[in-house]
Amino acid sequence: MRYIKLPSENFGKFFKSLEAWGSVYAPVKRGGIYSFQEVHDPAEIALDYNRTMLPPKKFFFRPKEAILRLKNGHWEENLEAEPTVLFGLHSCDIHGLKILDRVYLDEPADPYYKSRREKTLVIGISCMPDEYCFCKSLGTHFAMDGFDLFLHELPDGWLVRIGSVRGHEIVWENGELFEEVTDEDLANFKEFEERRANSFQKELPQEGLADMLDLAYNSPVWKKYADICLACGNCNMVCPTCRCYEVCDRWVDAYSAVRERRYDSCFMENHGLVAGGHNFRPTRLDRFRHRYYCKSYFDPSSGYNCVGCGRCDEFCPAKIEHVKVLDEIRGSLE
Amino acid sequence: MNPYESHPARILEVRDLTPREKLFTLRFLDEDLNERFTFRPGQFVIVDVPGFGEFPISLCSPPTRSPIQLCIRKAGRMTKFIHKMKEGDVVGIRGPYGNGFPMEKMEGSNLVLVAGGLGMAPLRSVLWYAIDTGKYEHVWLFYGTKAYEDILFRDEIIHLLKHGSAMGCTVKLAYEVESPSCIYLEQGFSDRVCRGVVTDLFRGEEFDVNRAYALICGPPVMYRFVIRELLDRKLSPGRIYMTLERRMRCGVGKCGHCVVGTSVSMKYICQDGPVFTYWDALSTRGLI
Repeated sequence: MRYIKLPSENFGKFFKSLEAWGSVYAPVKRGGIYSFQEVHDPAEIALDYNRTMLPPKKFFFRPKEAILRLKNGHWEENLEAEPTVLFGLHSCDIHGLKILDRVYLDEPADPYYKSRREKTLVIGISCMPDEYCFCKSLGTHFAMDGFDLFLHELPDGWLVRIGSVRGHEIVWENGELFEEVTDEDLANFKEFEERRANSFQKELPQEGLADMLDLAYNSPVWKKYADICLACGNCNMVCPTCRCYEVCDRWVDAYSAVRERRYDSCFMENHGLVAGGHNFRPTRLDRFRHRYYCKSYFDPSSGYNCVGCGRCDEFCPAKIEHVKVLDEIRGSLE
Repeated sequence: MNPYESHPARILEVRDLTPREKLFTLRFLDEDLNERFTFRPGQFVIVDVPGFGEFPISLCSPPTRSPIQLCIRKAGRMTKFIHKMKEGDVVGIRGPYGNGFPMEKMEGSNLVLVAGGLGMAPLRSVLWYAIDTGKYEHVWLFYGTKAYEDILFRDEIIHLLKHGSAMGCTVKLAYEVESPSCIYLEQGFSDRVCRGVVTDLFRGEEFDVNRAYALICGPPVMYRFVIRELLDRKLSPGRIYMTLERRMRCGVGKCGHCVVGTSVSMKYICQDGPVFTYWDALSTRGLI
């Protein structure tokens, strides 16, 4: 890894330089909600945001998109990836993208996701946890790869970690904006990370978690929460790692049609429905439990399917708390 | 090649099998693809009716024969639509997907095929592959249906009831609803056709459990009873293969509809399956 410093006074110039790479999207505040929007003026960015409602997955795996177009009886693919810069991703969201990569870049790769991923520059930014964050428990509070540049806040600028060749190129081409890292910067970096590590209010104990959840398959706690749950699917939409999609064909006119895919939610009744009417997850309890099992699944190559970003808690209309459910399920075994 | 794009294939023949099921014989428009296209019994394809949608269907013909055949039950919007299609119409096919049965591994062994209802379709691929190649010692087919009218590939089944032994194959049939045709069939093959459920067909059949594999496909409720029967006979869980149905939308492990399991073991039926052993069922909750 190469480390370099971006002094505060050069931040604006650095940000403007990114426009040479593509359209720049960064977190902005609209109403009470943060979201990634196209930004031209660095003053618009909410650098201290906690979390956006929709995670950065929306740039690669669209909420709704036409994947194929039917013209004269033939399918034509609809690949139209634009060069994009995603500025200000938190570490948990970078981990979220890595989990999506494992699914969508795995052979056969999804060509839509892949082309957007290849044309997008990822620039991470350090953050302080709020009451919803539990990324530290899952080891996703620090990104060691999956970004081009990562900016860590210092009192007088940013300590920049360079994570890819493209990251090197940006720094190379704007060499005059950067300085070498000093011992004082390193001390500040260390102090920031320690303060951050001690600021987490929520913890998800991992020891034996996956097995205990499996053993608690019949726990009454699942039903308790399934009864409160509105099955709205909000948690799926805002989750940086939920990636289920549904496909349908739509006629544009008498001669052409599009094949569209859109986000799907495992809370919807037809998620496990097969032709003929058999449903493999017929009740809300089945679907509620399935989501928790899916999020708590541990893949040896990419870890848990949850990055602890806290979105499902913050945007749950029934105020169901992910960690609390898992704690109670685990507790119900005793 | 975009993995979601299908290859156009012409419907060469449409045959009524039952009032609900039709057999479609298909040939790709691309001749090279017809040459190239190969699969393992138990694999499935996604049928694409452009402008209307896609659905997954098991290949029911054996890889030893071409062109390919699909047995499609009229069960939903899409299959209702394809049932209206005629010879000469073109649909899209992508695949084959899934793991299929490990035919090479089972060579030289006895195969016990247990089919319930529409489960006959993927097992027909195994059945004719085994007969065509002659690489398997003996094949049993235990087939349970609702009524005489529901017997899929009735001509083939009756042909095998008559001449199966010469091909190293024993076919046994159980039906639930009695009809004059069933009684007639039962009179003709009193040792192999009976009224009852598919597990009744195991009675009187002996096979060396160390040299046999069981291959099961049927409605969800069937698996538990058949597996119990096989385990009672001391067949190892690793020799029990079953092919499962889930909502396989994309076929390539992306869309998430066919995921089963819990926090310790999650499987995509479309890629990890649809064929699993009973060991998999023991370690993956919700598989059967």
